[in-house]
Amino acid sequence: MADPTNHANAANPLPVATVDDVKRINPLVPMKARVTRIIEETSDVKTFCVSTIGEDGMPAAPFHTGPGQLAMLSLPGVGEAMFSATDAPDHLQISIKKVGLLTEQLHEICEGQTVGIRGPYGNGFDMEAMKGKNVLFIGGGIGLAPVRSVVRYCVDHREDYGNLHLIYGARTYDDLVFKYDLFETWPKVPDFKVSVTVDRGDDNWKGNVGFVPAFIEQLHPSPENTVCILCGPPIMIKFTLGVLDKLGFTPENVITTLEMRMKCGIGKCGRCNIGSCFVCLDGPVFSLAQLKLLPNEY
Amino acid sequence: MKAFPKDKLTAVLDTLAKQATLWVPAIVAGVSRFAPYGPGREVQLGANTVMSPKEALFPATEKIYEYSAYGIDGEFTPVDPSVGPQILFGLRSCDMQGILCLDDVFLTRGYVDDYYAKKREEATLVTLGCVTPGPDCFCYAMGVNPAEHAASDAQLFDLGDAYGIVARTAKGEALVSALETAGLLSESDKAPLPTGDFVLKVDAEGITEKLQHMFDHPLWDAFSRKCLNCGACAYICPTCHCFDISDKKRNAHCGIKIKCWDTCMYSEYALMAGGHNPRPSKKERVRQRFMHKLRYFPERYGKLQCTGCGRCIAKCPVNLEITDVIQQVREAKIDG
Ligand SMILES: Cc1cc2nc3c(=O)[nH]c(=O)nc-3n(C[C@H](O)[C@H](O)[C@H](O)COP(=O)(O)OP(=O)(O)OC[C@H]3O[C@@H](n4cnc5c(N)ncnc54)[C@H](O)[C@@H]3O)c2cc1C
Ligand code: SF4
Ligand code: SF4
Ligand code: FES
Repeated sequence: MADPTNHANAANPLPVATVDDVKRINPLVPMKARVTRIIEETSDVKTFCVSTIGEDGMPAAPFHTGPGQLAMLSLPGVGEAMFSATDAPDHLQISIKKVGLLTEQLHEICEGQTVGIRGPYGNGFDMEAMKGKNVLFIGGGIGLAPVRSVVRYCVDHREDYGNLHLIYGARTYDDLVFKYDLFETWPKVPDFKVSVTVDRGDDNWKGNVGFVPAFIEQLHPSPENTVCILCGPPIMIKFTLGVLDKLGFTPENVITTLEMRMKCGIGKCGRCNIGSCFVCLDGPVFSLAQLKLLPNEY
Repeated sequence: MKAFPKDKLTAVLDTLAKQATLWVPAIVAGVSRFAPYGPGREVQLGANTVMSPKEALFPATEKIYEYSAYGIDGEFTPVDPSVGPQILFGLRSCDMQGILCLDDVFLTRGYVDDYYAKKREEATLVTLGCVTPGPDCFCYAMGVNPAEHAASDAQLFDLGDAYGIVARTAKGEALVSALETAGLLSESDKAPLPTGDFVLKVDAEGITEKLQHMFDHPLWDAFSRKCLNCGACAYICPTCHCFDISDKKRNAHCGIKIKCWDTCMYSEYALMAGGHNPRPSKKERVRQRFMHKLRYFPERYGKLQCTGCGRCIAKCPVNLEITDVIQQVREAKIDG
């Protein structure tokens, strides 16, 4: 019988699930939670703060999520879908783009709405392995959501990481998500450079105009002792990878998240496999070196 | 070994049916499948069933929770995954092996699927050694011993005019002692009838390693051309485990969440919001089916996900046969 790891090698192991921190009673049944706050990010993205009620009657996070981990959010009677979740002390933040049935209904709800939430799912980013390194964050559109959970972690553990640099782009100024972080919170963090671009300029925008990959070339970030975290639409990722390669980033140091259709979140329903990996369990975070070992089917 | 005469089969089943829901191979409304034993049920131990027995542990549809929604309020109420004690009687080795594949998926790798785990824990599995392999059987080629399976709770052997029974686990011993208490067992020194010859000749040696180099091979175009993507192969397969989770509304305010069989053969299976589909055509879907069974599953769990039961060969409307795929893959030329 084949060695289960024989298509990987010792230097580049494929990820294996690390979910021992979650011992839920039943991983397929959501717990009841409430949307405590809704932030309108853009015309089609809203951030939902989701809490359960703790024993003391105060809002509590339904569960803690590491940077890059996922949560399944459901609206009773409508459906459920997987989203990246950002940890906050007494709630989870989930930013959702309106694209279909469930997400449109979610955009209609008001604060106080009961939702179901289950998770956390997925491996998340290995923050230990990144200690002592500079971090280059690259995001496009709603792809800033998973990146933001890592940024927040690095900011909260500022002394553990070197220089931080975020390069982010969206179609227009209005489409930039987390403007309060981009223009207020993060620029104040020591040694944190924030570079923002938009595809099309308008009167609201005084900064750079142009696509993310070209903007990266212009900024030519150094690969020296640097890990790059990259999330965005497939087309942006594709062109960005070319630029990163030219800049000298090695596949081991480029880390991204994948999206596949998901149902169970626990590696059982078969929905999200790429080769022998399940993205919900072994991902969604993969290094480029790991992706190169998987069939090109995502 | 302990044994009961074949003409006492009904008494044996009646005894077992008093202890648990007893699943037996039978013809139900024209369909050959495992079904709960009861009055009038005609048991068919002569050949394996068309439908696999997986539904006893992994039902085609099952409730996972109930929900209600009134304005901004809502509730989620889990459904008990227990169905009480069950006995699966007369499983073939291939189907026992299929259950081991389901065990790997549902019970290992960090999470346990409670709906499967509970039913598995409550079940006693009684295998039956094969004497006459069917025309589509090729279990021997997939590493399965048709004469007996070491993972069952109790093993039945065909002794000619009687069935021998050997308990392998505490659950199996409880079952055997219940039959003994009912006075149905006696000692027999007959040897089990040997397994006859297989019609279908297959050799799957090295198939996983070969497939590791064949993701982009032109064979997939050829295989997929005739496939209808009907999904029959997955529904009857003892190892296919894919499921969907969906809502079944009762009314505007409440409904149930269900888990139901699904298959990678369907075009919507991997379709994402926004329209992107990583497996847009039949070629990718057919490749996924065979790659999963013969390469990805062995890579992940260390065993083949095909047990050689032959069901998909018998039922595929266009004769897209896994044995043919195995043979052509083994013969295929690959670059480098
Ligand atoms: C790991 C992971 C992380 C994710 N993180 C996030 C996140 O942080 N934020 C976020 O917003 N989303 C995220 N998603 C995506 C999110 O899961 C989907 O947007 C969501 O499932 C859509 O559900 P829906 O019911 O609204 O859409 P559906 O109703 O399922 O979609 C409707 C169907 O209509 C079609 N359709 C819908 N929209 C379009 C369109 N624009 N163009 C063409 N056809 C269309 C598609 O065929 C689609 O299947 C993530 C997904 C994964 C797997
Ligand atoms: S793939 Fe076909 S032969 Fe193999 S276990 Fe499934 S139904 Fe049986
Ligand atoms: S292989 Fe045969 S049974 Fe399976 S989906 Fe294709 S046509 Fe249907
Ligand atoms: S979502 Fe079910 S296996 Fe990944």
